[in-house]
Amino acid sequence: MDATTAPHRIPPEMPQYGEANHVFELMQNMLEQLLIQQPEDPIPFMIEHLQRDNDYVPKIVILGPPASGKTTIAMWLRKHLNSNLLSVESLMAKEYSSLAADARTRYQKFQTLPDMLLVRLVQERLREEDCVRRGWILDGIPETREQALLIQTLGVSPRHVIVLSAPDTVLIERNLGKRIDPQTGEIYHTTFDWPPESEIQNRLIAPAGISEGETARRLLEYHRNIVRILPSYPKIVKVITADQPCVDVFYQALTYVQTIHRSNAPFTPRVLLCGPVGSGKSLQAALLAEKYGLVNVCCGQLLKEAMADKSKYGEMIRPFFEKETAGPSYIIMKVLRQLLDQQDCAERGWVLHGFPRDRDQACLMDSMGYKPNRVFFLNVPFDSIIERLTLRRTDPVTGERSHLMYKPPPTMEIQARLLQSPKDSEEQIRLRTELFYRNSAELQEFYGQAITLNGDQDPYTVFEYIESGIINPLPKKVP
Amino acid sequence: MAVTLRGRLATSQFGAMEANSSRELEARNYLEKHRIMELLTYLASALLFFRPEKPREYLISILERLRTAKVSGVAFPFFMDNSNIAAMFQMLDSSNKGSISFIQYKEALKTLGLCTADEVLKDDGHGITCEKFMCEVNKKTQEICGKTKGKDSESYRSAAELLLLH
Repeated sequence: MDATTAPHRIPPEMPQYGEANHVFELMQNMLEQLLIQQPEDPIPFMIEHLQRDNDYVPKIVILGPPASGKTTIAMWLRKHLNSNLLSVESLMAKEYSSLAADARTRYQKFQTLPDMLLVRLVQERLREEDCVRRGWILDGIPETREQALLIQTLGVSPRHVIVLSAPDTVLIERNLGKRIDPQTGEIYHTTFDWPPESEIQNRLIAPAGISEGETARRLLEYHRNIVRILPSYPKIVKVITADQPCVDVFYQALTYVQTIHRSNAPFTPRVLLCGPVGSGKSLQAALLAEKYGLVNVCCGQLLKEAMADKSKYGEMIRPFFEKETAGPSYIIMKVLRQLLDQQDCAERGWVLHGFPRDRDQACLMDSMGYKPNRVFFLNVPFDSIIERLTLRRTDPVTGERSHLMYKPPPTMEIQARLLQSPKDSEEQIRLRTELFYRNSAELQEFYGQAITLNGDQDPYTVFEYIESGIINPLPKKVP
Repeated sequence: MAVTLRGRLATSQFGAMEANSSRELEARNYLEKHRIMELLTYLASALLFFRPEKPREYLISILERLRTAKVSGVAFPFFMDNSNIAAMFQMLDSSNKGSISFIQYKEALKTLGLCTADEVLKDDGHGITCEKFMCEVNKKTQEICGKTKGKDSESYRSAAELLLLH
């Protein structure tokens, strides 16, 4: 058997390091820049790119009909993210640029700019040092599909595109109240956003072109264009309705802009499910294992198997099990290690539940090198737990398990002979839940990026939440 | 693993570009001319193998060394040293007959990221011996790192001697 083609045993530290440091995205961004710029000498270019470290600066495009609040949102985002704002007016007003001077004369004559000129202005501005270092926000550019394509050809591509939308009648009405402060350029509104200081109030002027007819004409043109621009940005568009208070629109835009999109990075899920008894961990683990081919590592099950096999660890655990107390952590860890170290577990990923139960066990597992990359806490209120567990019954003849509410037995005869396990009595459940909650705060603190879910819903809804938690990248902590 | 990384990088890049075939062709030629994909595979493998605390600084240091090696012609960092190459040859030659078949040799070069799938290598009919294998691997690694001075330069010879000495 040729050793170079056999399945390689990749030490688990490698994918863990790759995920933690986002190696794939790093390489992908570098390759993108190389392909777009195609420098003659790639190595100094790559050194410079790595030193600049600007993979995650904001690159945002904000589009929307007139009077939707684009400029307001753009200005707020600029202040919050400490970035740069580009709009048609600001590009034309630039000093020391022959392109901008050219643009100003043409705008005065024809009232519009040719596409190529506008796009070249954008490119020139984006090459400047502050845009490279702190990112950029384009307000209302591209206006047409041709501009969008030209921008793309020059290698400028945004990471987030926000489109504001509102019904036309609302916009026409809103536009009538628009007022501008000539000194700062900020936009105010007679009804929605009136400045408190009287000196600003006195300076405000109504801009040209806010009459109903004018707004309706611009809206028509906007609708014609936006439909053809959106397909250029297939996966990064988010439509936010502008028919709500400004602050709400801003917070939605801000949360969206701070999300990282899914990348093609290779990812093996190593999931840890935590929750009180009866929260549905085993069921969710079974669903995950079936759908994604992960290895279902149920701690309780493993220990019982070890005891049944009469293995060395099983014999050590048996006295604790008979006394119904928890076994010592290091023995449990050894049993788990035997399974987690196997090749298929490392390759396919695993979903673990039932261990660790407190901070010391979590530290032990962490020090052995088994770090989960997604941790879920399932929250279920105590009454639901009682309902789920106390109604469990087992048929002594066939061994089938059923539930009086969720999976009732087929006939009355069977129901008559059902028995309840002593473990499912209310006092026992209460004890075990209290034990969990005593340790859960520490566990949550230990696993900093854990996701808490409401477990009190039907299993498939909870499964969908878990899935989206696994598939989407973990949210970056905002400093 | 580095091979799958490279494959995914390639497909994701070309999927994202607009269907403009002349620019795509231009881009592909650029990649081939500067052997970017092999270089990136080498960088990614180094990162995952050595797992430095600060990946960007580490990558910058490797690239700086490559740049000075290119300019001054000094021996540059090899990812695999001689003992690794010898060990790899022994893995391939499981029956210890002293040479490996041409197909094995080609697969090994592909795994190391030293040749593309459709590059044509000459098959001289005899098996590839250990010395020839080592020689070819070193030569290809040098090509990738952009060495332009050729075999006649002094530094190449001194570097090659360093490596062929066990």
